[in-house]
Amino acid sequence: MDTYEAHQGMKRRTLLGCGAAFVAAQSLTLTSARANAYPSETINYIVAFGVGGGSDIVARTMAKVINEKNLIPVKMLVENRPGGSGAVGYSYISSRKGNPYYLGGVGVSFFTTPLLGKMPLSYKDFTPLAAIARSPYILAVLADSEIKTIDDIKTAKGLTIGSAGAVSDPALLSHLLNKQLGASIKVVPYDGEGEVMAAVLGKHLTLLFGNPNEILEQVNAGKMRALAVTSAERMASLPDVPSFKELGHDIVHTQLRGIIMPKDVPADAVAYWEGVMKTVSDSPEWRSQYVDRFNEIPLFLNSKEFGEEIVATSQRYETLMRELGLIK
Amino acid sequence: MFESWHLLAEGLVAASQPSVLIAIMIGAVIGLFIGALPGLGPTAGVAILLPVAVSFDGTAAIAALGAVYYGAQYGGAVTAILLGIPGDASATMTVIDGHKLARNGKAGAALGLSIAASFIGGLIGLILLTAFATTIAQAAIAFGPIEMTALMIFSLSLVSVLGGKDLNKAMMSLFVGLFIGTIGLDPMVGLPRFDFGEVRLFDGIEFSIIAVGLFGLAEMYATPPSIGKPEENNRFCFRELLPDIRGTLRCWRELGSGSLIGFFIGILPGAGATAATMIAYAFAKRTSKHPERFGNGAMEGVAAPEAANNSAAYGNMIPMFALGIPGSGTTAVLMGGLLMIGLQPGPMLFQTQSAFVWTIFGSFYIGNLALVAITIVLTPVLATCAFVRPSYLFPAVIAIIAFGIFGINNSMFEVVLVIGFGILGYLMMKLDYPPVPLVLGMILGPILERGIRRTLVASDGDMSVFFKSPIALVILLITVVLLVAPWIFQKSQPKPEATIEPDATKVH
Repeated sequence: MDTYEAHQGMKRRTLLGCGAAFVAAQSLTLTSARANAYPSETINYIVAFGVGGGSDIVARTMAKVINEKNLIPVKMLVENRPGGSGAVGYSYISSRKGNPYYLGGVGVSFFTTPLLGKMPLSYKDFTPLAAIARSPYILAVLADSEIKTIDDIKTAKGLTIGSAGAVSDPALLSHLLNKQLGASIKVVPYDGEGEVMAAVLGKHLTLLFGNPNEILEQVNAGKMRALAVTSAERMASLPDVPSFKELGHDIVHTQLRGIIMPKDVPADAVAYWEGVMKTVSDSPEWRSQYVDRFNEIPLFLNSKEFGEEIVATSQRYETLMRELGLIK
Repeated sequence: MFESWHLLAEGLVAASQPSVLIAIMIGAVIGLFIGALPGLGPTAGVAILLPVAVSFDGTAAIAALGAVYYGAQYGGAVTAILLGIPGDASATMTVIDGHKLARNGKAGAALGLSIAASFIGGLIGLILLTAFATTIAQAAIAFGPIEMTALMIFSLSLVSVLGGKDLNKAMMSLFVGLFIGTIGLDPMVGLPRFDFGEVRLFDGIEFSIIAVGLFGLAEMYATPPSIGKPEENNRFCFRELLPDIRGTLRCWRELGSGSLIGFFIGILPGAGATAATMIAYAFAKRTSKHPERFGNGAMEGVAAPEAANNSAAYGNMIPMFALGIPGSGTTAVLMGGLLMIGLQPGPMLFQTQSAFVWTIFGSFYIGNLALVAITIVLTPVLATCAFVRPSYLFPAVIAIIAFGIFGINNSMFEVVLVIGFGILGYLMMKLDYPPVPLVLGMILGPILERGIRRTLVASDGDMSVFFKSPIALVILLITVVLLVAPWIFQKSQPKPEATIEPDATKVH
């Protein structure tokens, strides 16, 4: 869904801080000594995209869980600052250098917009805090398609696949498929994932890489067939569908749901949020309201591990964009 | 089908419980105001209410968000008619004849007609939604890039009638619009185009900014300062504030065609309500016996686009409810709402959440009736705007415009842009360039570009695929016939006045 927000032609409009205050009840046991301890002010979760999209749902669900469980002694406000394919929101966060009261989520545009060279920032201008869920992609076809297995893709001709925007995870994955299988899939950019799904259902495209949430609905309705998943292991919700890795293809790519802060925030703030995120990730509330609802894979990555994944992901996009001729 | 009506009856009962009724009323009133506010449209309205609404009970939340969406369609026309400023993007075509009517002292009649058109368009859209949601969704997805390309070529040929009397100037205006439509990230390659190094242009220029600047601000700039009092023919008269029922009934043909066109364009993913109003207006003018009246305050010119945009709102929801595909910005936010309350829109929704879906549909019927009641009561009050002196009215309106445009993305940059487009509109007005082709180019151009480029990427540059799709072929043939027929007709029986295109597009 993040790619949808990043590249859709129709902009989502939002009003600033529109009633997004999840009012965390102030802990009555707060002593005066602890009042000066971190955090002592409102935490601002900046969503670089519009209300109602993937990043926004992650942010609001996370804030809701944190609030319901009273995990922090202050309020957490979710604020949308869309525009410029994420550039507006991410620039806003990074300009609060060293300020541990601003945080944001990581989407595809977090990597691709800086790589396009149109945002004077990169992942290096942020501090990774933690990641608490992982969303793999599922390669699927229509139920009546002639393509039954991954091997059929090697030989089939005229295959097309949709992508929300020119640079997206599905575009990256299709590129990998072509390289690894010697297939000749053409990537057709659309304005959003909804349009891509419509084009697949209307038989204007043959293949689709989608989020579990979108694909499972169609698979359960008997409209589509899942061929393989991009996580290292099979998904619990699709036990019969192999992963690319077990089929012998070196294609492992998932979208991480994690949070970042501006550069140079104090180390104790990072440790604090690692703790809060660990609790969120282990909580049944997060499990039921996010992970299970959207069929994602639960996990916990601390600041260091998340930072390593960010570097690797950015390199993967950079390679793709170089090969597509988007950057020199 | 009969089962649908039975389910709808149950839905209507469920939607009549007080909590849902209150949600509908709140949503409808918010939608009405958001729609009337220049700049902010239904997408913004739904987005504003979303975080609050999801804390209600699920059904009430979606009923309220839906009400914002269709309420905005009613509200947009009010500003368009009274002030000549499109309240939201899909009310742009309503400005052309609606504001002219208000200036001719028929503000009440124009508002009444827009309410009737909104209601009828909404009702036809709703009935089609109720009866055929799942079937129609299947037909809509048959429209892929090839078919969209054909449809946009057809639409552009239809709207050639909207160009005004000077074809060269109309074409210039159209191409400026097409150019503006290319600003932002290239939809296929991802590289920025014409962004002048400005990251805030990455997502292109919001259509409302152009519509509000070009129509609303331009006209205020052009009003001479000496005009301190209302025009002579705008003498206050209570009768003028009332709706004109007979005039409304006379527009039955435009109401029908507008509703159907709106609905079918609305279903297509990526086409949108604004494109629907343009096609509906052009169709009404093209098929009218008196096309010269369009642009000079024709009732039909209000009926067609207003019926179309309301009908399109329901058409738009079909792919979302039936297939889980958001076809527009507004439905994308609405779908976020469904996900947040824990529902998965998609092919299973009608089966697994049948009671929910039908209650929501029931709430749409109730909301539509409620909006008619609210707007009819408000009409005489609102229509008095037409009698306020410009020296009092304009400063307030300009402030509201600045607020509304700022509210789209919380960006002062866009407020500056709207002022710039106001100046462009003023210059075009003075130099007699029609603004309507510009907005057409900006709306239809990007859809055409995407259609052509997507098709050619998939076909490896093979143009012949455009003629291999039966749907596209039929649409292209109709286009050719429409373009060639008047030309042959003219040759055989010369009739000079039939060839002169009336000045359709001057807004004032």
